[in-house]
Amino acid sequence: MGVSLRNVSKEFGAARVIEDVSMDIPTGGFAVFVGPSGCGKSTLLRMIAGLEETSGGTIAIEDTDVTHVEPAERGVAMVFQSYALYPHLSVFDNMAFSLRLAKTPRAKMREMVREAARILKLDDHLDKKPSQLSGGQRQRVAIGRAIVRQPKVFLFDEPLSNLDAELRVQMRLELTRLHRQIGATMIYVTHDQVEAMTLADKIFVLKGGIVQQAGAPLDLYDDPDNRFVAGFIGSPAMNFIAADVIGRDAGDVVLRTRGAEAHEFRAAVADPGLATGAEVEIGIRPEHLRLDAAGMPVRVEVAEELGDVSYLYTRMADGTEIIVERHGSRDRLDGETVSIATDPRHVLVFDRQGQRLR
Amino acid sequence: MKTRRIENGIVTAFTLLAAACWVFPLYWAFVTSIRTDENVVAKPGLLPDQFNLSSYADAIFNTKLMIWYLNSVGTAVIVTAVVIVISMMCAYALSQIRFPGRRLLYLVVLASFMIPAQALVVTQFILMNDIGAINSWAGIILPQLIVPVVIIVYKQFFDAVPKEMREAAVLDGGGEYTILFKVYLPLNWGITTALAIVTFIGVWNAFFWPFLVVTSEDMMTIPVGITQVNDAFGVAYARIMSVAMLAALPVVLAYLIFQRRVTEAVMISSGVKG
Ligand SMILES: Nc1ncnc2c1ncn2[C@@H]1O[C@H](COP(=O)(O)OP(=O)(O)O)[C@@H](O)[C@H]1O
Ligand SMILES: [Mg+2]
Repeated sequence: MGVSLRNVSKEFGAARVIEDVSMDIPTGGFAVFVGPSGCGKSTLLRMIAGLEETSGGTIAIEDTDVTHVEPAERGVAMVFQSYALYPHLSVFDNMAFSLRLAKTPRAKMREMVREAARILKLDDHLDKKPSQLSGGQRQRVAIGRAIVRQPKVFLFDEPLSNLDAELRVQMRLELTRLHRQIGATMIYVTHDQVEAMTLADKIFVLKGGIVQQAGAPLDLYDDPDNRFVAGFIGSPAMNFIAADVIGRDAGDVVLRTRGAEAHEFRAAVADPGLATGAEVEIGIRPEHLRLDAAGMPVRVEVAEELGDVSYLYTRMADGTEIIVERHGSRDRLDGETVSIATDPRHVLVFDRQGQRLR
Repeated sequence: MKTRRIENGIVTAFTLLAAACWVFPLYWAFVTSIRTDENVVAKPGLLPDQFNLSSYADAIFNTKLMIWYLNSVGTAVIVTAVVIVISMMCAYALSQIRFPGRRLLYLVVLASFMIPAQALVVTQFILMNDIGAINSWAGIILPQLIVPVVIIVYKQFFDAVPKEMREAAVLDGGGEYTILFKVYLPLNWGITTALAIVTFIGVWNAFFWPFLVVTSEDMMTIPVGITQVNDAFGVAYARIMSVAMLAALPVVLAYLIFQRRVTEAVMISSGVKG
């Protein structure tokens, strides 16, 4: 295993920030911690780096317990959101800093820095100071500083959030490429689920210091364990509608939305705990809704036309917002009332605690 | 528009007047120093009527000015170097290292900043006497090594360095000395230069303590030595003034060379005091 956490917890004074987290990240894997701001992603990452002590549990890197090992001896390198480059040193010296401290022979050091610079296309900038570089270049220097240390594990804490949107997409691709090229274990922290989906081979969704769900990006997307994960992963977000169970029919659960203009949905859910009368919430992704005269009427407030796809921002009679994704049709629907429907297998059901019922 | 111009004129005139008040003593000292002693008394005029360097020659050859110079330079350099090094390390520890008693220690530093040096003079004198440091460089230097304001300025500087900078260095394998000397200090050498200049000027100009602790003419620093010129030659204004001019010379030179840094330094440390 690249990185293993067992029952790791962290308290700052009385505040419990990480609660009993266990996880395994295989060697060479790309794991992403994702969650809203303040959920403890950075804290968890910094505990793996050794910059924060654990309040409980153990951390192992390459099957060696490093819970009480100094940060520099864990074989990890970290890339910070603010880059944290040494402003008084040239790009070369920034990257060579750790090698100098490790008393690496001059020739070897030069070779390692040049190799990292080549991978990151920084060859022409080695003599410059960080202040003479663009944001993207600074980010690459920060990554280069990590690469030259040849760490077992790369740690990234929101490394792209200071870049503009275009550069972010570009750097995202470069990171994927870099991961393939180097093959080291990488852990990446972000609050942006798109980054998580595109970079990770395993995503850990965090909220309130608890891992809500872990898994491959598409598994989380298709099969979320709870309402939080369902709502957090995917853009635009999943639609949620309050409903009551009114019975079963041919293996499907039949649900009815509340309010004056109640409408029935069917969900392919086997869970026997789903009794008639239960109050639940149903979740449907925008792309699984289609216009269907027999469906539920909603009023289109805004239609966003993106060319290949359009999003209808609609409201149900009770005011619940429903987003509908459409392909291949460009008729203007602003202000109109349309009817929407979906397939039972695309209707997810969550109990009142937000747990998914399958 | 017009009132604006008049206002500006008044402000300028006022500034010039204030500057003249400041400059006049210096000018007067200079003019006096290039007169002969007889002329100083016989025909005291505002304008320089003579260019006579005999009092400078007198000062250099007939007083112990050169020894005083040596004492001043020696003690000032040592005090400055030691103050800067121990203060930066103390401030680094207070700012960056978590250890029990850290806050208390900082309070002690702050408290010692509140106590005027004069209040400690008697105790210090007795202490120096007990360790046999009267009439020696050690006696001049030791009590001047405590400069809390340098610690406070350094601490504020270290406090303001982003936490990630330190963490990056820790992950790169840097220990505390590496972080202090290879990362933090080079971030802004200006602070160190500025503090060194202010400390140096302070020690160079120090009169009260060296005056107390030194009685032997061979151990005097320049400001103390000036008082001796009087006694040795009777009232000899030209000579006193030329010694004073020579005494001020290094500081003036330092100021001219590091002009911007000195201004910065005064602003930094007065920011703390104010
Ligand atoms: N050094 C600290 N002292 C006290 N509380 C902290 C400290 N660091 C983080 N926290 C708290 O821990 C929680 C998680 O922080 P963090 O891991 O930075 O969140 P994220 O990176 O997911 O936005 C936050 O509520 C934050 O206020
Ligand atoms: Mg964070």
